[in-house]
Amino acid sequence: MAEEKKGRAVATTTAAKIPKFVRGNLSATLKAKEEGKKVAAAFIADGQDEIMRAMDIVPAWGESFSGVCAAKRDAEKYLQKAESDNFSRSLCTYATCNIGFDMMREELGGVAPEGAPWGGMARPDMMLGNGQLLCDPRFKWPQATQHYQRDVPVFVTNMYYPPWDPNVDHHDQEAIYVKYATEELRETVKFCEKVTGKKMDWDRLAATVELSDKTWDLFIDTYELRKHIPTPMDTGDAMNTMVPLTFNLGTQEAYDFYVDLKAELEQKIADGVGVANPEKYRVIWAAGLPSWFALGDFQYFNGKGVVFPVEVTYRGCEKIERLDLPKTNDPLEHIAWRWVRYWTHWYDAARKRPGSTPKVERIIEYIEDYKCDGAVFHSAFSCRSWHAGIMQQAATLKNVYKDLPILIMEGDIVDISSYNEADTHNRIDAFIETLAAYKKKQG
Amino acid sequence: MTELRDGNGLAAAEKLYTQYGSRARELKASGKKVIGYLSALGPVEIMTAAGVVPIRLKGNVSEAISKGDAYMESIVCPFVRNVFDAAVKGKYDFLDGMVLPHQCDSIDRTNETWSYTLKLPYWHFLNVPHVTDDPSITFMKEILRIFIGTLEKFTGTKITDEAIANAVKAHNENRKLMRELYDLRKSNPPPISGTEMMKVLVAAMSLPVDESSALIKAVTKEVKERKPAAGKPAAKRIMLIGDQIDDVAVIEAIESAGAYLVMEDLSIGAKMYWEDVDATADPVQGIAERYLRKLKIPTTFVGSADTYEGILDERFGQMKKYVNEFKVDGAILFIYKYCDPYGFEVPAIKSYVEAAGAPVLYLEDEYSTSSLARVKTRIEAFLEMIA
Repeated sequence: MAEEKKGRAVATTTAAKIPKFVRGNLSATLKAKEEGKKVAAAFIADGQDEIMRAMDIVPAWGESFSGVCAAKRDAEKYLQKAESDNFSRSLCTYATCNIGFDMMREELGGVAPEGAPWGGMARPDMMLGNGQLLCDPRFKWPQATQHYQRDVPVFVTNMYYPPWDPNVDHHDQEAIYVKYATEELRETVKFCEKVTGKKMDWDRLAATVELSDKTWDLFIDTYELRKHIPTPMDTGDAMNTMVPLTFNLGTQEAYDFYVDLKAELEQKIADGVGVANPEKYRVIWAAGLPSWFALGDFQYFNGKGVVFPVEVTYRGCEKIERLDLPKTNDPLEHIAWRWVRYWTHWYDAARKRPGSTPKVERIIEYIEDYKCDGAVFHSAFSCRSWHAGIMQQAATLKNVYKDLPILIMEGDIVDISSYNEADTHNRIDAFIETLAAYKKKQG
Repeated sequence: MTELRDGNGLAAAEKLYTQYGSRARELKASGKKVIGYLSALGPVEIMTAAGVVPIRLKGNVSEAISKGDAYMESIVCPFVRNVFDAAVKGKYDFLDGMVLPHQCDSIDRTNETWSYTLKLPYWHFLNVPHVTDDPSITFMKEILRIFIGTLEKFTGTKITDEAIANAVKAHNENRKLMRELYDLRKSNPPPISGTEMMKVLVAAMSLPVDESSALIKAVTKEVKERKPAAGKPAAKRIMLIGDQIDDVAVIEAIESAGAYLVMEDLSIGAKMYWEDVDATADPVQGIAERYLRKLKIPTTFVGSADTYEGILDERFGQMKKYVNEFKVDGAILFIYKYCDPYGFEVPAIKSYVEAAGAPVLYLEDEYSTSSLARVKTRIEAFLEMIA
């Protein structure tokens, strides 16, 4: 996602382009005013990317900025600023870091505080939230920020998908959810039209959505090259290479990035170049956002011959043909179908294995396809969205694989006070010992 | 249930409070099906119409979490963890099923942990939206109809619109009775203590609606018949704000320091009882509107007013009203650790209620009495400050 204090060597040269992407997204918010564009504080994986891109709205990604602050180990001053107005340290630290920054910027009359990582972000013209089946901060964060930016309008849409229930066929409920999500996206368009004073160009939206679909396909084609042994790219890189998909969906730049990455991975495979030499153990990053201030831990794994050929985190797409989307001429309905079918993609598999869940089926699919010997989860204390329920996933996985080595690391996404490098490395070492024993037993 | 006689409403409430779930257990033994639910979003009207016994689940603040942590992360809301722990330990072994309304991440993201661990015969996750626009009302009606369908399948009985309309009437009557009891607290000194009121609120949420109404009536009659207390007219009148505070520990800390708890905006209290379900041709419409548009909880996003001040009125206007009507001298905002929905509201609530004329003490704590001494010290200092 971003560079940290001590530069992290990357396994692919393409990933080295990512800081430019991230910096470009931040600076786009600062340039927007002079270009006559509106800026929207926005959240990733909200289904609103194409609407913003098609309307020339510049997204200000709060999660990205907080991640940059964390990677640069420069988040504490913003966390403390938020805390000074009674935002608890137990709340989402993506949010509190960003709110602290916003509070400081307001005190400076809208100018980013001096020394803000990569210049900071511009004051938004609107805030777009989203109520989902994950992440309350996606609508509480903009609401909380509005307390300091009272003239900035907040719009919250609601994008759901059928909840998992082993006794219910979710296909029976899909139409209700797609209709609702489509209507909510239409409300989002109306709000954006009101703030920008411009009408949506529906042909442009359709073309943007088509480009997103192509990018989803290319992303998966590229990442599936990592099935190769030795893997040409691991999760340490993927935490960077997810940026175009996650923050620049619906742009040609994002698509082109994966063209380059795919070519590089194909070349590495042809040359027999892997992340670790020798590659001893293949492990899945099964769930959890990373500690952005400690991405170097992936190198620690790599240095011991452990690679992560696959991760669930930030793999926020699937091959379009596998989702079997019904045809529609309405780009918003297409986004809604893509949304619902993506989130429910592993439901049918879970229904076939009593006691399993879709999240676990997804992990199982990757363990099998990428030939993994173990699983690592990361539990971030300030984020319930991605990290509550991990213990249940790990326990279910154990029911299927019995002795599969599993490590649940504990830390945070932004707050470095939770992190102890020596303890973390000790836990990793112990995990690697169990991997060795497991692999020996497997023969 | 303890037979209600003149003058024993509070004693009955005390018993139901200390032996939480005892009536549901009795009804289960008599052949009734009992469904537990979490949060103010549990649509009790539909459960009542289905002929099941709804019981809102609570934990035990005096009991350490000892078994639940083997299944559920410690970053989850301490209230949710505590209730889950109680369920794992068998405190709710009389349940036939559970409804988890989609209130917050701590509920939503642990749905599978609950259902796969407890393995109850009936389970339903009610996917309540976070926004209140027209498409959301339509969607809410759809998911309520799905919920009705699952209950029909479970009980083997059709839930008619007439049964739902009757349940709506019964629950509206129940809310009206509770509001009448709240009204008595406007006196100075109030004829019912905050501690007593908490026991009534907790007892009420453990009973079928008709029994709950009978209890409230009995308590109200008993309280009205009390001789005016000599009291301490100068004692400070406090309001408590938070989610599911369902134990007397914090309230005793307030009242033992010489103040009166005269009002609260809690999810088991005023939030539950202040707004009725409108009688609509399609009874599900009224229920959808009540839970989505009338219930003031932080996981329902509200923000349609043109100005920020107007938005604050939409979100917290009831608190200002309570400050004025109940002559509140100070408010305690008691938020559980790891609670994003309430945690992100703290600066807004604090400044709003203070602007309404009541100084605010903000406390962040666990769902546990382990830190009660510290809480008590903070409350005492606050009361001294506003004296």
